[in-house]
Amino acid sequence: MTCSEWTMELVECARQQTTPDRELRVHLSICAHCSERWDREQQLTAHFRAMRMQAALQSRNSQRESLMRDFARIHRRKAVPSWVWALGAAAALLLAVFLGHEAGKRNSKAVSPAVRVHGEPVLYEASLDASALSSDDFIAVPYTPPLAPGEMVRVVHADLYPEALASMGVEVDPAWAGDLPADVVVGEDGLPRAVRIAENAQF
Amino acid sequence: MQPSDEELYRLMRKGNQDAFAQLYERREPALYRFALHMSGSQAVAEEVSHEVFVQLMGPATRFDETRGSLESFLYGIARNLIRVVRRLGPVLEPVDRPIYHDILGELIGNETTAALHRTLREMPERYRDVIVLCDLEERSYEDVARLIGRPVGTVRSRLHRARALLSAKLKRLNAPSEVVTR
Repeated sequence: MTCSEWTMELVECARQQTTPDRELRVHLSICAHCSERWDREQQLTAHFRAMRMQAALQSRNSQRESLMRDFARIHRRKAVPSWVWALGAAAALLLAVFLGHEAGKRNSKAVSPAVRVHGEPVLYEASLDASALSSDDFIAVPYTPPLAPGEMVRVVHADLYPEALASMGVEVDPAWAGDLPADVVVGEDGLPRAVRIAENAQF
Repeated sequence: MQPSDEELYRLMRKGNQDAFAQLYERREPALYRFALHMSGSQAVAEEVSHEVFVQLMGPATRFDETRGSLESFLYGIARNLIRVVRRLGPVLEPVDRPIYHDILGELIGNETTAALHRTLREMPERYRDVIVLCDLEERSYEDVARLIGRPVGTVRSRLHRARALLSAKLKRLNAPSEVVTR
């Protein structure tokens, strides 16, 4: 065996802190180079042991708790599975549709909560239809049944809330906060058919 | 029977905090020591061993069991983090800071040990890795081969080369005292 091959063996002996076998011992006794190397390898092993002890002695700040808190925070957020979010969104959508429908029904009944009526209504015969009403500065209220021939209509003077006018399709300045005086054509069934903003109304 | 690292990892990804804690307690101490010996700084070692687990629980982590063990994946993260730290500049708080207040401290505070530690830190990474894992962490060649993703023969030859470098350093360190004693 060459010195380099013996060296491989003596390094392993030094690492494992075992006694070299007889053949290696014989070589170490006759080879000064390998013998020196053997001494240094043993010293190296001792220094490594010291380094291990040094590492073990060091006090350190455990960051375990902060990691566990971070983990809990991340997984609390993730804990709700995506299908729950989907279900929640669907429920919110249904609720919005229902509320919209209810609000629509309230608006179609109309004007009642949003209208304050002044004085006695003036009665007219509805020889005119909705388009005729529109021509006389009246704005036809959409989605209401047409007037029957001969149906009597009343024109009432009322203060309308801007929201009520907006729901009838009248353009209203959103900044407007007060009531608007208007003439409302009401059919025999009590439903408004047309609206006319009074001339003295100020937007 | 203890669950494997990979089983704990799968549970952890499902939000099982106990699995994460178990994985942390099992792997963090060795990762800390690895980072400590590789960087020479306690502060860096603490930061690295913490960051490894932060990355592990992060959404971007894509550990693939078919490509290797979780342990080697963790060492890979630690090695990359240490590389980044070393690139930033010299590390503070050297691990070879002498401790003089007891007998063990005197042994550990030995100047030769400190000099060897400095030499170790200045070695190329491929040698430093094997010295730290084989000789300081006392892992088997097979374990180290798995951790660094190299054949056992490569690990063995790198270790012998690294020890030869340290042995030469030791020879130089021993030389002045030998002169004095003559």
